[in-house]
Amino acid sequence: MSAVTAGASAAVKESRAPHGLVPALLRVHRSAFLFWLMLTAVCLGALLWAAGPGADAALAEYRALGCDRPGPGPDCHFSGSAVGRHQLAVAIASGLVTLLPVLTAAWAGGALTGREMENGTAELAWTQSVSPARWLAAKLAVPAVLLVAGTFAVTLLHRMLWSSPKNSLDRLMGWYEWHDDRVFEINGPVATAHTLAALALGVLAGLLLRRALPALGVAVLAVVSLVWVLDELRPRLWPTTATVTSAGSTPNPPGLVVEEGALTATGARVPVPECWGELDCPAESGITGYYAVYHPSSHFWPLQLMESGIALAVAALAVVAAFRLLRRRTGAAV
Amino acid sequence: MVEYRIDRRSGVATYVQIVQQTKQALRLGLLEEGDKLPTAREVVEATAINPNTVLKAYRELEREGLVEARRGLGTFVRRSLGTAPADSPLRAELEAWAARARAAGLERDDVDALFTSVLDAHFAQSKGDA
Amino acid sequence: MTDTAIEAAALGRSFGRRRRQALEGCSFRLPAGRVCALTGPNGAGKSTLLALAAGLLRPTEGSIAVLGRTPAAARERLAYVAQNKPLHPQLTIAGTLRLGRDLNPRRWDARVPERIIAEGDLDPGARIRSLSGGQRTRVALALALGKRPELLLLDEPMADLDPLARHQLMATLMADAADHGTTVVMSSHVVAELEGSCDHLLLLGGGRVRLAGPLDDLLAAHTLVTGRSGDTLEPHTVVESRTTGRQLTALVRPAGPLGEGRRTDRPSLEELVLAHLRSPEAPPLVLDTEQEAAA
Repeated sequence: MSAVTAGASAAVKESRAPHGLVPALLRVHRSAFLFWLMLTAVCLGALLWAAGPGADAALAEYRALGCDRPGPGPDCHFSGSAVGRHQLAVAIASGLVTLLPVLTAAWAGGALTGREMENGTAELAWTQSVSPARWLAAKLAVPAVLLVAGTFAVTLLHRMLWSSPKNSLDRLMGWYEWHDDRVFEINGPVATAHTLAALALGVLAGLLLRRALPALGVAVLAVVSLVWVLDELRPRLWPTTATVTSAGSTPNPPGLVVEEGALTATGARVPVPECWGELDCPAESGITGYYAVYHPSSHFWPLQLMESGIALAVAALAVVAAFRLLRRRTGAAV
Repeated sequence: MVEYRIDRRSGVATYVQIVQQTKQALRLGLLEEGDKLPTAREVVEATAINPNTVLKAYRELEREGLVEARRGLGTFVRRSLGTAPADSPLRAELEAWAARARAAGLERDDVDALFTSVLDAHFAQSKGDA
Repeated sequence: MTDTAIEAAALGRSFGRRRRQALEGCSFRLPAGRVCALTGPNGAGKSTLLALAAGLLRPTEGSIAVLGRTPAAARERLAYVAQNKPLHPQLTIAGTLRLGRDLNPRRWDARVPERIIAEGDLDPGARIRSLSGGQRTRVALALALGKRPELLLLDEPMADLDPLARHQLMATLMADAADHGTTVVMSSHVVAELEGSCDHLLLLGGGRVRLAGPLDDLLAAHTLVTGRSGDTLEPHTVVESRTTGRQLTALVRPAGPLGEGRRTDRPSLEELVLAHLRSPEAPPLVLDTEQEAAA
């Protein structure tokens, strides 16, 4: 036992010996890390509340209004106060997670690197026993670990909430679809991937511009653009499924609709003609049916993985660029 | 023990100032045979001068046979220059002479000039600056 | 332990797209154990040279070796204090020193910085942002010396210190040099600040080395000559000469006896430096201890 302990403490010493870079980093950026801890706690707390007492209260209100019976009254189209609180709690968590890439980029570009480059504390670190490359590696790794851990926990909890027993919360959460931007991002690795890309882009901006405020601005701009592009690109990241209906009814596919329209006898896809309630109008226009191109909910994981992959690739490129930039400037070997 | 006073504006090289002040301390009997000179560290901590300068001065004193470095112990006075200790009869004679000069109405500058010319007549010109 | 602290060979560094040359063709050798004054007018390249030696910049031409290795490989054994004394404003003094311990686990000696902090009557719990310029300098120097560096690079270290703090910190530096044989390079454009503390001189002008070598040898290699105007100073190398009425004053590097009928004086450090700064076209003089020993 004592031998094991001795070995363990020796190992601890060994790992401490080359660099106490991690404790140093935690000390310098303590307030930011505490803020992140608080943010994660707020998200987790809101979701936990929503899953527990919040959901119970909402369901009780729901039942009291008789909304769970067939043919519910008009009141059921509007949420009561308990349902509203439940939705607010979920919205706080998903809203913060949606905001997270922007916050991360601003901090990574500003305080984490830009400010250190601007006031020379980066050079202070590089002239201790720490090479610029190791410094950069720690600056990326420590926040990345904390961000991934926090975001992952929030994502897990949100998924739990989202896929909780059909009979109770389905209607409550049914206000949202799986492919809504907020829901989609928080329900899978995409939120984490966006945040990591934001970290990498922020760090790169800080190293490139060497000034806190410009780096903060550029990093935020880059991440907002990235997330916007990914949102736009999302439907095209995986082959779609098509569904066709006869002239009598329009399709109402369950999922992310990419394109819909009318079909003619030749099978050509045309826009739905503008018929204002005239019953024979479609037939007069030669419409034989309708089609919809969409992603069914089974595309959730392929879409998640594709988008995460792209975001992580962007992050990787930014990291490589940051290391190269640093090496070119300081010429320091590792 | 001696304490060195370094005048950076005097134009005299710093190590020469240390040599001169050591010799003066030897002459005045403030330092005697066997006394230890301050270490280079002690000197630079007090004066903020370069440690190599102190070592250079001590080497110079050693070369003149006035001090010796003992390994790990420090630098010690080997022989005194005590030809005119503070309380020697020569000093007493000079004191009496100075008192007479003053009584005769001589100014300090007059005495200084007189003294220097007598010194020049009796001693070979010594180079103050090395 | 190598006997050379810094060796530069045709060292150059340019900045920006227009390749503005901050340093050009610098060759010199600084032996270990010296306290070197790095001086020159503003913009002469002092800070660039120190940053190159500290491994913070990559040379664009030539090479620089520090303690016998590349600056990057010598990182653990050198310390550098930048001109603006960068420190983390949100940390306390004690926190700053813990940072030094964390980042230099193999070399850190806590006693040295603690003594320097105590000498300045500073409260270890005080935040860096609450300190005056001089107090920050003291903390920055404490951090640098805590690492037990073999080479200490200081960019304008005394600029914002009052005379007492200047004397105290210079004494601390010199005591450290006496104890450990630390090589110190201090830049300053105020020559008087360095007199007495330095035994080696590196004078930069326009990005080039103007004078380099042991201070005493450099001073000995120059003579201030006062003579009559019209006198020829051949074959000596004239650094600067001025005529006032019938009088000629010149700083020369004698190539032999200076002849009769002239007053000759040994120049002070300030006279030596100023004469070279006033005459940018005077040829550079680089003395090496090796050359001196061979001569």
